[in-house]
Amino acid sequence: MAIRARRYSQARAQAGTNLELAWWVFMRVSGLVLVFLVLGHLYMANILINAGDVDYNYIARRLSNTTWKIYDWVMLSLSLLHGMNGLRYVLDDWVRDARARFWTKIVTYSLAVLVFFVGSMSLLNHDFSKGLSENTRLEHSEGTR
Amino acid sequence: MYRGREGQWAFFLHRLSGIAILLYLLIHVLNISAAMWGPEVSERLFAIEHTPIFRIGLVGVIAAVLYHALNGLRVILMDFTAWGVRLQRELWYGVWLLFALFFVPALIKIVPEILRTMGVI
Repeated sequence: MAIRARRYSQARAQAGTNLELAWWVFMRVSGLVLVFLVLGHLYMANILINAGDVDYNYIARRLSNTTWKIYDWVMLSLSLLHGMNGLRYVLDDWVRDARARFWTKIVTYSLAVLVFFVGSMSLLNHDFSKGLSENTRLEHSEGTR
Repeated sequence: MYRGREGQWAFFLHRLSGIAILLYLLIHVLNISAAMWGPEVSERLFAIEHTPIFRIGLVGVIAAVLYHALNGLRVILMDFTAWGVRLQRELWYGVWLLFALFFVPALIKIVPEILRTMGVI
């Protein structure tokens, strides 16, 4: 059951288990980190450039850069954990039938694991620099930010 | 806790924006990761995403993220400060003030881009 406390001391008192308290703390810590990571990401993808100009080359350049691989992977991990735990709170509140709740969780958690796996593969296990010519890389090295 | 008033709206919108962001996140990661299968696959997906209706949807996602981020900071202040809960209503108005401060300039930058692709301007 989600903790409804407004203060850490209350949260500790309300948490049924240490794990539930750990999730309560995680939501706040990851949320604070994600504010900067995600707003930075949106700024780079929508304000610094025209989001309508994003194409394969932009992705390949960006995912050829180690800094952005790390940035994106931290963002991917934290946002999926934060989002899926948030969804767990919502399902516990809104899906009253225990069987339906159980299966909804099975399906959504599986989907999240799949998305995490595919996203991690593209960030860590695929060489996007292969398709880029040396010229393209030099030409756009500033643009990848 | 504060039923039917600002606090409950803040809570409800936090959930709604959270669900919207999660849905977009799952689609977005799969969509960007599709670049692993080469430019043709990617370009076909981008052709869909760069249509005006999807661009407008993306503006909605930006709004959802901005509200969720700012109201999330409000939740953290309520949880970890002595005055956060007492001033939760004022903090919520602050959330909307900051929201407007960031979102209006973003609209001024992005909306003309969308209108140009539509040939309106």
